[in-house]
Amino acid sequence: MIRKRTATIVSVQALAAPGHYVLTFDDPETARDARPGHFIAVGATTPANAGSSILRKPFSIYKVDPDAGLCTILFSVYGPTTSTMALYKPGDKLDFLGPLGGRVFDADPQAAVHHVMVGGGYGVPPLNFLAKTIKAANPSAKVTLIYGARSANLLVGDDGLREAGVEIIACTDDGSLGVKGRVTDGLAPLLAPPILGAGGASGGACVYTCGPTPMMRAVAELCMAHNTPCQVSMETPMPCGIGICVGCVLKKADGTFSRTCTDGPVYPATEVTWQ
Amino acid sequence: MAVNLEVKIGSLTMRTPVTTGSGTFGFGSETKDLVDLSKLGAVCVKATTRERRLGNPPARMCETASGVLNAIGLQNGGIENYILEKLPYLRQFDVPIIVNVPGESPDDFAYVARRLTESGGADAIELNISCPNVSHGLDYATQPHLTAEVVAAVKAVTDLPIIAKLSPNVTDIRPIAKAAEDAGADAISLINTVIGTAIDARKRTFKLANKTGGLSGPAIKPIALLAVYRVAQTVNVPIIGMGGIMNATDAVEFLLAGATAVAAGTVNFVNPLAAIEIADGIADYLEKNGFTDVHELIGAVQ
Ligand SMILES: Cc1cc2nc3c(=O)[nH]c(=O)nc-3n(C[C@H](O)[C@H](O)[C@H](O)COP(=O)(O)OP(=O)(O)OC[C@H]3O[C@@H](n4cnc5c(N)ncnc54)[C@H](O)[C@@H]3O)c2cc1C
Ligand SMILES: Cc1cc2nc3c(=O)[nH]c(=O)nc-3n(C[C@H](O)[C@H](O)[C@H](O)COP(=O)(O)O)c2cc1C
Ligand code: FES
Repeated sequence: MIRKRTATIVSVQALAAPGHYVLTFDDPETARDARPGHFIAVGATTPANAGSSILRKPFSIYKVDPDAGLCTILFSVYGPTTSTMALYKPGDKLDFLGPLGGRVFDADPQAAVHHVMVGGGYGVPPLNFLAKTIKAANPSAKVTLIYGARSANLLVGDDGLREAGVEIIACTDDGSLGVKGRVTDGLAPLLAPPILGAGGASGGACVYTCGPTPMMRAVAELCMAHNTPCQVSMETPMPCGIGICVGCVLKKADGTFSRTCTDGPVYPATEVTWQ
Repeated sequence: MAVNLEVKIGSLTMRTPVTTGSGTFGFGSETKDLVDLSKLGAVCVKATTRERRLGNPPARMCETASGVLNAIGLQNGGIENYILEKLPYLRQFDVPIIVNVPGESPDDFAYVARRLTESGGADAIELNISCPNVSHGLDYATQPHLTAEVVAAVKAVTDLPIIAKLSPNVTDIRPIAKAAEDAGADAISLINTVIGTAIDARKRTFKLANKTGGLSGPAIKPIALLAVYRVAQTVNVPIIGMGGIMNATDAVEFLLAGATAVAAGTVNFVNPLAAIEIADGIADYLEKNGFTDVHELIGAVQ
């Protein structure tokens, strides 16, 4: 159920990573309904003062606290919407549509597999949500986050994962933390040979990825080469987020165009073409 | 005091003067959680063609200053898919349906119009002779005789009201509107998008895969208002005005320029309830300014 909301902002915090913020808002229904992979479309410019930018912009759900009725997003400042959001104060209103997304991450917490999240930049927050959801449903599930950035200070979105028992592998271009190199350098050793899964049973990996398109492409191609199932969460620009503009499409392997906002944003890697 | 918002577009009665702009509201069902369609003046659905169309490759849209460029390329499932898959949802609501029809030949337009008429699939047909994103689309609305040819071909196969949707990408829109009226159009809608492009300096590429697209949103409002004003001076049939309408004040300006009804287009991407809220806002404007009927506004600025 998509709702149009004007929710009260509870907090806006700057992260150590320059230009990155987490914003928490009060909306019990979204906190209850949102699943990992869902997003919201934030309108930070109103029709009444339509300035240079008029469209809503999509942001992944990062955390939910259904008991407190709170939801959190993580964003980095690029343009008009995110610049406005960075200036919000507790008590201000967040205008959004949500939860959005027709197909979200599909993970079976009980499966004897190694759940591997591979993320970059603002692609990490939905994976954090997914990792915690799997762990909450099955504390003995084997869950790993591999995330990357140019440098250690730009790694974001890992909040609470260690405490939840998720293994974390950082990859940095400059080697300032963890593996020196890309997320695929962190991922490759996990894919071959087959890993011992939860409960000691032999199980392969299931990969879930979200981040810049070139990164997801590399992850998807590596997984396909290893016959490893991989789900990708596409981050094409989404002018409406609700299926009415047909502007957000992805070309699928069967040649048709799919609306990433309502048919996605999550797709099996085998369905995606990369241009 | 209640004010009258009801208007007529040919034989079509609209409860409020606000419809949706084709291509900016899907086929109605996408917003089922948010919008009660029976509160709209009419629903104008996405372009529906004779055969299924896949549309243009991405990137199809980008944001520009106070506007949006799009090159969707008329992605749709075709007329039979519309009748089977889209129409049943729309018909659950007491609201007139306007189907937007593009085509590559007068025969294409007539074929879809005939199927819509036979199936009860529309209450009015909007001829999209002005889409800038496909070849053989724009061409018709650039020449009076081609416009007349399409209108006449459709007139011959249907009794439904025919709305000719015109393009601003012409030297003078007036002779084209006149040709549409003379050929039997019951109304004129304007404007379709304004052709343009956007370039990415960082990647040194066009931002749209199609290179060019149609500009919509507040950026084109002055162009649209002038087109409405000029055509209102030229024809006697009603005009549906659109182009950058974001709120009730914008809509009132179009009525004052001579539009009988208006369409909420790009604003739906920001607020899918816009067509309903704009109609409420027009009612407020009428009351606050001592009017009782929306017709008192139509063409009041000369
Ligand atoms: C499903 C989905 C989920 C998303 N989740 C998040 C999230 O959780 N957190 C988050 O911060 N962002 C997220 N994004 C991306 C975010 O929606 C965009 O970055 C958005 O465009 C920012 O809006 P803006 O108005 O601030 O900037 P815009 O005006 O849209 O952007 C200004 C300029 O910067 C460029 N630009 C925008 N974003 C980027 C980028 N990421 N990298 C390089 N150039 C860019 C644009 O092309 C434009 O030219 C998500 C996108 C999608 C599709
Ligand atoms: C994404 C998009 C798709 C559109 N598709 C169609 C279409 O299929 N047929 C049509 O006649 N007009 C189409 N239009 C044009 C609109 O109906 C309208 O004429 C135009 O956008 C101007 O109004 P606006 O500024 O309020 O959006 C489209 C516009 C947009 C932004
Ligand atoms: S963003 Fe508009 S259809 Fe997907």
